[in-house]
Amino acid sequence: MTDNLQPLRIFYLEDNPLIVFHVEAMIEDLGHVFAGTADSFADLKRIFDAIEADGTLVDIDLADGRTGIAAAEWLGGKGMPVLFVTGQEGIAAEHSKLALGLVRKPVSARDLAAKLRLFRRE
Amino acid sequence: MSQDDTSLDWVLALAPYRRDADYLETLLTQHGLAVRRAADQEDLAVRLDEGPGLIVATHEALRPEVIEVIRAHLREQPDWSEMPIIMLLDRAAPQTRIRAELNAAWPGSRLIYYQRPVATLDLVSGVQSAMLARLRQREVRDHIGREIELRRELNHRVKNILASVSSIFAMTRRGAVSLDDFAKDFSGRLTALANVHTAVFEMDGETLDLADIAALTFKPYRSEDQDRILTAGPKVALVREAATTLALCFHELATNALKYGALSRPEGKVRVDWSLAPNAGLKLSWTESGGPAVTAPERTGYGTRYLSAALRNLFGSPPDIAYDVGGLRLSVSGPLREPEGNAGSRHALDRNDG
Repeated sequence: MTDNLQPLRIFYLEDNPLIVFHVEAMIEDLGHVFAGTADSFADLKRIFDAIEADGTLVDIDLADGRTGIAAAEWLGGKGMPVLFVTGQEGIAAEHSKLALGLVRKPVSARDLAAKLRLFRRE
Repeated sequence: MSQDDTSLDWVLALAPYRRDADYLETLLTQHGLAVRRAADQEDLAVRLDEGPGLIVATHEALRPEVIEVIRAHLREQPDWSEMPIIMLLDRAAPQTRIRAELNAAWPGSRLIYYQRPVATLDLVSGVQSAMLARLRQREVRDHIGREIELRRELNHRVKNILASVSSIFAMTRRGAVSLDDFAKDFSGRLTALANVHTAVFEMDGETLDLADIAALTFKPYRSEDQDRILTAGPKVALVREAATTLALCFHELATNALKYGALSRPEGKVRVDWSLAPNAGLKLSWTESGGPAVTAPERTGYGTRYLSAALRNLFGSPPDIAYDVGGLRLSVSGPLREPEGNAGSRHALDRNDG
């Protein structure tokens, strides 16, 4: 499933560690690089300067509340492309302008692989 | 239509004659009722949008345009709403015909008729009892609102659990060498998740104590003698997500110790210690001793991978895992957060002193 291009570095904003470690494994299987994780918007802001990533996956409900939308907007302002990864498809759709696309939960490797390619166009 | 919490608790007085409007306002205000007035149909439309509890209207107000504005408003009402409308009709007017017309024009209302002149006390008690009925409707509205909110929340949690189970499945499958192996590991992990879910569900408040999470998770490994897994630490209140994550971490550590580590030998022991520091948050350590000589695993399995990801996600920094010959050691420290903390700055570690 790897595309024969430069690997993408992917950061993941998500508060469920089970999903983080699964998606981390999927990202590595796809030949990309996992660039780290944070469980809240507050944490993301704190460590943002140290993050080296081509794109960020963003869940909507995080450890500091429903802050994923604000996080996506903030990341957009920093020039960081975003994909929503969430079970809250309705909320993601309302804010679709803030992200390149949506990966539904539970995350499938096929869906993730297809959506990660959107980071290449940036 | 505005349906905020202050709506439905005031009376809309619809009286074209100023003297009537003054009289109604004075009378009802004296009896503790809030009144807003409308003189024509433009006023009326604005007032209706503000969400009146009920309408008191004089006979003179009954013009076709006014009847139509009220009709349109009633049509827009939600299911729980039945607007009380108190009509003050002239004694000389054709009562039966007017009632029939209004009943037909205003479905979704509860019409109450008085003949002028009205005894003051009759009118006041009529308005008060209609207002009480209206406030009960508001309670129904709030109840429906809470139900919808709960259903959304439940849906979100179910989705989250299914996503968790799906991740556990996929990651267990990836590391499994046989179907039996897979079945055993998968069911062990699901049981750990189910146990902590039960504990979270049965808890009184929004937090669980770290010692309770440890006791719950280690129970299956302590059937014979209690001394093999020793736990020590102060009371630490954990929010739901942190409690779930730590329970699953304890489960991975304990099963690993049973398969390869200290708990695979009768004389082996595990110490689980935690402490709280004012600036560093929670420090947690797992120390095995008395087991077989430890070597670092050749490949990173589910357990190690999960522990690293989960503890890094929870504590903000990865755990330190040492494969000491004498026994596996793991330690991690950092602040934990509350799910809805103020900009994430509040610490999740509420100290329960006492």
